Amino acid sequence: METIKRQLENIVGFENVMDDRASLMAYAQDQSFVPRCMPDAVVFVQTVEQIRKIVRWAHENRMPLIPYSSGKNLHGAAVPTEGGVVINMTRMNTILCIDDENWFAVIEPGVTYQQLQAELEPRGFRIMVPFGVPPDRSVLTSYLERDVAMAAPSFESGNALVLDMEIVLPDGEIFRTGNWACGGNPGSPYGPVRMMAYRLWTAAQGTLGIVTKMAVAIDRLPPQRKVFFLPFQELATAVHAIARIQRREIGTECFLLNRFNLAALFCEGWQVPRQYPTSKVSAETFDFLRQALPPWVATICVNGLPYYPEEKIAYESEALYEVCAFLSVPVLEELPGVCSAAEIMLQEMLRPWGILKKFNYRGAVHDVTFKAPLDSVPDLIDMAYNIAQDHDYPGADIGVYMLPLERGRAVHCEIDFHSQPDNENIRERIKALWFKTSQELIKRGAYFDRPYGAWANMVYNRAATYTLKLREIKQKLDPNGIFNPGKLCF
Amino acid sequence: MEAHQKKKVVPNRLPREVFQALIDVVGAAWVSEDRAIIETYSRFSVDAAQTLRQHQKDPTMLPACVVLPGSTEEVQAIMRIANRYRVPVVPFTNGQIGFCGPTNDQPTMTVHLSRMNRVLEIDEKSMVARLEPFADYAQLQAEAMKRGLWNGGSPLATTLCKPASQTAFAGIWQTDLKYGTLSRNIVSTTVVLPTGEVLQTGSDAVAGVRPFWEYGPGPDLLSMIRGSAGSSGIITEITVKLHPWPGGIQLPEPPAGRPCIHNYHEPRFDTASPPANVKLLWVEFPDYDTQIKALQKIAQSGIGMGLNATGVYNAYYCSQTQEMTLDRVKNRFFPPYNCYIILCGFTSPKQIAYEEKVFRKIIDEVGGTFLSPSYKEEVLEALQPWNLDCIRHVTGFRMNRHFYGSSIVPGGPLKDTAYKTKEIWTRTIETYGETYITDRGGVEDTPFLYAINRGGRFWLSEADTYPDATDPEKLQKAQVMAISAVADFVSQKFVPIGMGVLVEPLTSAFPETGPNANRLMRKFRTVLDPNNIFAPGRQVYTKEEFNNLPEETFQFINFLRTKYGLHSLSREK
Repeated sequence: METIKRQLENIVGFENVMDDRASLMAYAQDQSFVPRCMPDAVVFVQTVEQIRKIVRWAHENRMPLIPYSSGKNLHGAAVPTEGGVVINMTRMNTILCIDDENWFAVIEPGVTYQQLQAELEPRGFRIMVPFGVPPDRSVLTSYLERDVAMAAPSFESGNALVLDMEIVLPDGEIFRTGNWACGGNPGSPYGPVRMMAYRLWTAAQGTLGIVTKMAVAIDRLPPQRKVFFLPFQELATAVHAIARIQRREIGTECFLLNRFNLAALFCEGWQVPRQYPTSKVSAETFDFLRQALPPWVATICVNGLPYYPEEKIAYESEALYEVCAFLSVPVLEELPGVCSAAEIMLQEMLRPWGILKKFNYRGAVHDVTFKAPLDSVPDLIDMAYNIAQDHDYPGADIGVYMLPLERGRAVHCEIDFHSQPDNENIRERIKALWFKTSQELIKRGAYFDRPYGAWANMVYNRAATYTLKLREIKQKLDPNGIFNPGKLCF
Repeated sequence: MEAHQKKKVVPNRLPREVFQALIDVVGAAWVSEDRAIIETYSRFSVDAAQTLRQHQKDPTMLPACVVLPGSTEEVQAIMRIANRYRVPVVPFTNGQIGFCGPTNDQPTMTVHLSRMNRVLEIDEKSMVARLEPFADYAQLQAEAMKRGLWNGGSPLATTLCKPASQTAFAGIWQTDLKYGTLSRNIVSTTVVLPTGEVLQTGSDAVAGVRPFWEYGPGPDLLSMIRGSAGSSGIITEITVKLHPWPGGIQLPEPPAGRPCIHNYHEPRFDTASPPANVKLLWVEFPDYDTQIKALQKIAQSGIGMGLNATGVYNAYYCSQTQEMTLDRVKNRFFPPYNCYIILCGFTSPKQIAYEEKVFRKIIDEVGGTFLSPSYKEEVLEALQPWNLDCIRHVTGFRMNRHFYGSSIVPGGPLKDTAYKTKEIWTRTIETYGETYITDRGGVEDTPFLYAINRGGRFWLSEADTYPDATDPEKLQKAQVMAISAVADFVSQKFVPIGMGVLVEPLTSAFPETGPNANRLMRKFRTVLDPNNIFAPGRQVYTKEEFNNLPEETFQFINFLRTKYGLHSLSREK
């Protein structure tokens, strides 16, 4: 180990290598059910050249490397499987460029949502942020791992946010995708090589290379916005209404929360945690809201454009009222029982981390995250509630978030189960519930496109050729298997 | 020429056991090595390289046989035979653009997919359509529009194109401002690999999951298929996205009705109005700078379904005869600096009214002029073919110019794309001279500019050569012009082929791209095609193929590289 440490110190300097037990413990586990495993060392890098040297060294020495950007994946992607060296890129946190003219930003892996949004907003821009993302999560990793932005209902604005990428391959060579492939300006995911080459490295959990720079799309801040709430007693009714609204292309952001999640979001007694898991915090407001709010509430945000914003909002709002009148769905501009609900939601559109207050309920949240055709969602959610009941988990403690994708082609769903990290019995019970729910959902056609942890086997066991080809590609790119071994199907 | 005329072309032949094995798979009716049939089923409508080989009476430009499978299973069986006997395979649908002939001098099998031509399913709830590889855009649109949906666009190479084959190659639409090219509209593909294995991408990769989501589980293997120039396997099914369509079940007819063969060239048959809830507005600009400024503002204003600057291309698309085209090019009938926007009322008719108001405001701010009944009415009338072509493109193959010899399709941020294309294409034309007067589109006019996304971050441009296909010298010149322009772009670190389909010899000739994209793609190729049987050498050379390039090819590449300040290449050790 001493030799390893010395070799790493030669690359990044004495002060940037850690191998003491206390430091390593912080990297051995996150709040997920992925088993604990200590790395052998952690190195803090600051340049691409340092990363290339470490990768070459690891390649020669067959040493596992675990890329780490912000540690806020919360699904075990950066937890080692067999020791190795964690490459900590949190200090590579420079926003390299904000191009106001062509609407993109170039960022390093350590740049966080909070940091980038704060830089963009005074310039009149915003980064598209996924709902419920920790504010200090790496934007680069979040996009790379295909976290879904809140604006994803809009085909044009909320998707295809990754433009160009710079990747350090497992042999230490650099490869650039998009326009960058020619060495010039970024701005396109397509570039000259092969249109969608970059997608090979998405949702790869750092198993095929380390992305060291990314050009991401930014969008102009809407000059005016208006939020509407649609309350529903039944999920099926909500899904039907959302499908109709999306077909008319009304609104940019649109999502559905059950009353648990909505109550957590509006709970004044809770704060967004800094660490996950966190400590349990009681709050009367939460209990009150959970009783008072409708079972399901869809939130729709209509955005004005730079020219005549009020007119854009007017015709979209009119169409929303028209659809809802036809369906006999009330359209609310505020939520009864919640003070300034519309204002809070408008803030969430830019900084959607209020929902993370849900961690205060028990301390840890274990989500089952999947995609499904919109019409299949009521049955899938119903099934999840039944499984919870079988496991003696109260339905009222389940959190649900749904985000229609691309005008209702599909939906991104998150079902939350809450557990107490300091109570091993409860944790084990929730783990069994989480596992069973995941398993049954997959059997019923739910799609886990980002197979973290135990999901990987469930998914790849059902995708034989795909898995085989992924493994062959991995073997070609990373013959010594140094990059985050044990993840996905590798 | 006389010597050529006396030369007899004798196509290659496959070993008898291979031919018999193919018969066993598809039946004798669907496989042939008859000279007339293989020529019929392997015509290259626009491909300068293949046409040059025809002029040279190169027998290897003809496949040894054509086989027509009827199912994925038959394609699998064919690929296994090819893989076992190491017979090169090329897939074929329309053969509209190059890259469909044999790629080396070995007896090659053309797999013609014309029997697999059905729209298999339209899932209205998930807004997706599942197609066989020979189902075209027109079929897809007709079926989808019946259900209030559509696929988001059609290519200038016309709605005869197949989304499956465009997955391997292009797929640029007039409506990319909103829909972002075919790249953003593929949900899943079923691909028979050269080994005979079937790879499915997207959610379809997982047993029991419907094809509704585009990304594969974990790393996305559509990246291996899209833009592979038909060199990664045969797509036997594709699922594409559908989108809301407020334009009605049928597209409008021209007031004059439909033409007959004797009068199809009369302009009155190209005067249909746009579909319901769709509106086009045309603008001209005093100069290129104003045009570029306007395009950026419009693309970033959040309005419109499509935004394109069609420049001199209007003369090809909107002229009904060759004479009209030449006259209009010569006399600059169409404004050289123009653009049009496609508006659509998805939410309500008020959306069109709102977006038109915004558009007019921007044009007023930058100083453009609307074509209207009171300003250049005759030009506006002549542009009427676009009313339908922006949705369902049909006039592309009536384009009145000579052969489509070669092209560059630069991409990137607007100013980079627009100014660099004009600069480099002008330099190319000045250096080599045009092959036909229409090559000058992009020199005196706007090179074609397509807005590819809503924020205006990314644009594609295009400049083409149109040589006389009967003139080998001009065909050769067309090739040289394109490669020279590519070298010029690469040397300046700009993107010559922004739509992301690198083919040889460009892949290996410019290792600056990537860098060393050629070596990475070689690795991927050995995974998908370990025996190098599938269109070998089309997208990326193996080391052996690269080292076996003729000396004159090497010298030419190095001549261009040196000319543009790039280091010379050597054969690999």
